[in-house]
Amino acid sequence: MGELAKDLQAVFREVFDDESIELRDSMTAMDVAGWDSLMNINLIIAVEERFGVKFAAAEISGLRGKGQNVGTFLRLIASKM
Amino acid sequence: MAIASIEFIGLLMLLTAVFFYLPGARSRRLLLSACSIGFIVQFLPNLASAGFLAAFLLAGYAIGCRMRTHPDLRLFALYLLALVSAFAFVQRYAVAEMMLGDAVRSHTVAVIGISFMLFRQIHFNVDAMQGQIPHSTLWGYLNYQLNFLALLAGPIQRYQEFAHYWNDPKPLLETRHDILKAYLRIFVGVICVAGISSLLLDAHDSMYSAIAGMDPKAAAGTPLGTTLQALAVFYLYALYMYFNFAGYCDIVIGGAALLGLRLPENFERPYFARNILDFWTRWHQTLGFWVRDYLFTPMYKSLAEWDSRKAAALAFLCYFVAFAVMGVWHGTGVGFLVFGLLHGIGASSAKLWETYLIKKRGRKGLPQYLQLPAVRFIAIMGTLHYFAFSLLFFSNSLEKFLILWHAIRHAWFGA
Repeated sequence: MGELAKDLQAVFREVFDDESIELRDSMTAMDVAGWDSLMNINLIIAVEERFGVKFAAAEISGLRGKGQNVGTFLRLIASKM
Repeated sequence: MAIASIEFIGLLMLLTAVFFYLPGARSRRLLLSACSIGFIVQFLPNLASAGFLAAFLLAGYAIGCRMRTHPDLRLFALYLLALVSAFAFVQRYAVAEMMLGDAVRSHTVAVIGISFMLFRQIHFNVDAMQGQIPHSTLWGYLNYQLNFLALLAGPIQRYQEFAHYWNDPKPLLETRHDILKAYLRIFVGVICVAGISSLLLDAHDSMYSAIAGMDPKAAAGTPLGTTLQALAVFYLYALYMYFNFAGYCDIVIGGAALLGLRLPENFERPYFARNILDFWTRWHQTLGFWVRDYLFTPMYKSLAEWDSRKAAALAFLCYFVAFAVMGVWHGTGVGFLVFGLLHGIGASSAKLWETYLIKKRGRKGLPQYLQLPAVRFIAIMGTLHYFAFSLLFFSNSLEKFLILWHAIRHAWFGA
């Protein structure tokens, strides 16, 4: 797991208040208990703060969309850094 | 021309039959443009309406282009204020009447589908400002807004999806089976709109007339009979709304697929939703997702960034504002505001209940609990009835709710 993924995992654990979360590239919103619309925004706020990036409205909603997973999220963060 | 009319379906069949025989993207785009122009022209009552529509769309496109090259939040806020004001003026909202009086009451401007154009325009501008629409053309944008298949009642498609199609309209359905399925979907849609929903509306109207005293011969006359009539009104309208709107969507989504355009789905078994938040991811999905993405998310995100400790409480405020706006977007009267606020209450209650369950069972225990058959049944029934109740206010006034309420009270208590 790369540094970015480790940092993102720490953000996930903090936002979802769950130390047992182990991120994998193939994980989707369905695989993380409680990843609903509201938690998605909380996650985005935490990621923006941690990595110093900004997300567009279309990107925020797209995170939980079809074909999206932790791997695509990591690539999106990396593209903005 | 109604969507489920013989004229519309006949022309749609003709169009889908010849469309891909046209050589090249340009000729296909020209034909689609001609259809969209021909469709909207019949709904424009005068030149003033056509002028307003042109100004509304051209200003939106110009601002979108400006935002793409020079993102400016203050300019966007000013534009948004002007856009919403123009919308309120044309639709004759009470707030516009209070401020402008006779100018609002006496104008003759009427633009069908303007509510959908408003939301598409805001999405276009926000996405352009945030770098999500790197290229656009005026012709493509106007066709996106005036697309005859989504003009009257959506679905609210995103510009990026339409632009991808518009650049090169080519067949979407690969097999004969898929093509037949699309024709079948249109057929089912016509049955739903012209058949089932018309029958449901007739039955609803006759029951409602009996209760409202407009048809004294049909009045039940007994407390139980009146209550049953009121329940019939309650359930029939919810069924009518579903068959009418879902049927409309079947026609336009099926028709679009035959022309190579993938319109977004708008319904996913909404009466099986387990709470109001779930409901709005299943009923009029493209509206629910628009409100989530362009209203709730930016509002909640700004407030949570401003004071993260109060974020959980502020979410409830955002639910109320988002659903109130969604309510009044449907229509100008107080009934629509109450409809929206009821959904704000429903959404907040669902979130509060979920928070309580997470505290009690843990985040991982929640899905197991929600899957219990009894819990699932109660949740689905509760949501269905809550939505049907909110539909009593889905009009310009509170009249329907008050008439049913007084009829039942009078039947049982005589006062």
